[in-house]
Amino acid sequence: MKAVMAKSPIIPSVSFPTASRLPAKKASKPSGIRRNSWWRLQGKEGVLFLLGIVLLWQFASSSIHFSGDYLFPSPAVTLKALWGSLPELLKDTWSSLLVLLPGYALAAVAGIVWGLVVGTIPWVSRMFSPFARFASPVPPTIYVPYAIAMLPTFRTAAGFVVFVGAFWPIFLNTAAGAASLPQRHRDNARILGLKPREYLWRIVFPSSLPHIFSGMSVGLVFSFIMLTVAELFGASAGLGRFVQLYADYADYPRMVAGILYTGVVVMAAMELLEQIKRRSLFWMK
Amino acid sequence: MSALDTRPTNCTAAAGLKVESLRFAYNGTPVLLDINLAIGEGEFVCLLGPSGCGKTTLLRLLAGLETPSSGHLSWKGRPITGPSLERGVVFQDYSLFPWMTLVNNITLALAKSHPGKDRKWRLNLAAEFLELVGLADAARKHLFELSGGMQQRGAIARTLAMGSPVLLMDEPFGALDPVNRGRLQNLVLDVWSDANPRKTVVFVTHDIEESLHLADRVVMLGSSPGRIIDELRVPFARPRVWRTLIRSPEFLSLRERIAERFREDTLQRIEAESVVGGDAEGI
Repeated sequence: MKAVMAKSPIIPSVSFPTASRLPAKKASKPSGIRRNSWWRLQGKEGVLFLLGIVLLWQFASSSIHFSGDYLFPSPAVTLKALWGSLPELLKDTWSSLLVLLPGYALAAVAGIVWGLVVGTIPWVSRMFSPFARFASPVPPTIYVPYAIAMLPTFRTAAGFVVFVGAFWPIFLNTAAGAASLPQRHRDNARILGLKPREYLWRIVFPSSLPHIFSGMSVGLVFSFIMLTVAELFGASAGLGRFVQLYADYADYPRMVAGILYTGVVVMAAMELLEQIKRRSLFWMK
Repeated sequence: MSALDTRPTNCTAAAGLKVESLRFAYNGTPVLLDINLAIGEGEFVCLLGPSGCGKTTLLRLLAGLETPSSGHLSWKGRPITGPSLERGVVFQDYSLFPWMTLVNNITLALAKSHPGKDRKWRLNLAAEFLELVGLADAARKHLFELSGGMQQRGAIARTLAMGSPVLLMDEPFGALDPVNRGRLQNLVLDVWSDANPRKTVVFVTHDIEESLHLADRVVMLGSSPGRIIDELRVPFARPRVWRTLIRSPEFLSLRERIAERFREDTLQRIEAESVVGGDAEGI
């Protein structure tokens, strides 16, 4: 654990290792292109691209005129709207997370435990796999209207669809990870005479962690999709409702601000998961 | 050469590990054919053979990790039906769990082999064995921080700490450099000869010199399908010193004899196959 704690601050959060680690000298080799001026920009490609997008946005919004300029607000106008609605957005974030976190956490626990069991015990796998093959590809958004109709409160309905959306990717990845447990770990555990529960918890679980984390990040994206879709339908608060509400009011600067803000929230959540993953998998090389 | 008595002694009185008319097939392909082998308690036996001769399979059968297609395996008269803490295994690929520290790998094993003892006792014993293999400073490290030789020493320390009377070792030094390999060979020999009562060791290798350095008895396996083609008792006195051993004419002649025996077997097999091929052409 220590080793990673010490290392992680050095590693940039979003990195393209092959591109950014290229030694500068290589780039200055004579090759016909003036690379000397280029290599200074190495490692800043991402920022430059974003800057380009914003410039393009600015240009487009000032030159194209839709009916009433506010259908396509400029960056400055959007930023102002974002600043103005920040208190409301924060409140909405809180409300959204109150739905998302329980649903996602429950999906993670259920998906991991059940995935480990299904991936480890052949007869359970034979029992469950046909059902999983049928149920997992159903687009979870399709449950939203029914969940809202069936479940007593909006919060339980949205929590449920978040759970369904996150469960399948987490479960499928965990089961695949458990099923691909290296033979040597399995032999080793058998030699030591581990009991089934110890085996699942101390051997299969850590060995499957890389798969589990990829399932959890797909599941996280899915749960945000499910959450915002559910909120479009009938929430009284939340990020999806924010966007829907201002679309209804035709207040497009706020709506675009809401979309951007939601993007930032999802990105932050993904980054948090990435950090947890990095710390948990320090023992992999 | 004739001065060397390498006839297997028949006095396997206290036969510890016994393999009787063992056959093992994998998906219908015979891997091992009619294996009969008796290994005395405290004996150090090397299973020697080329890659793919089924020596690893034989070791896995002895460990209880595979079930024979037919035949019988036993330890001290009790049939081998599955893995047991009585038979410690050291695998070729350093069988430690990479997500645990070295010391936790050992204490996990000790929790199973000595369930009555508390954590402090296990930690002490683990430290003792890590000291023995020269890894006292690496106790809190994870595998990615250790070299291959250190990992294998850790795996050996774990197996030794468990105190199994039988050690099954599957080419444990196959991937190591010569210096590390020599050190670990000596370590295994020291541990084996110091233990009281002596441990029974079955050591799989494809290295003739290694088998002559370590074993009381070398069992040669031929391939396709795997079977015992010959065996010989290694007549060198112990303790054996590698540097003098490899210079002795007895060692060289014995090494040559074993190599010759494998060549013969290969030739016989090729001839047998070509006869079949010839017949098929005639049809």
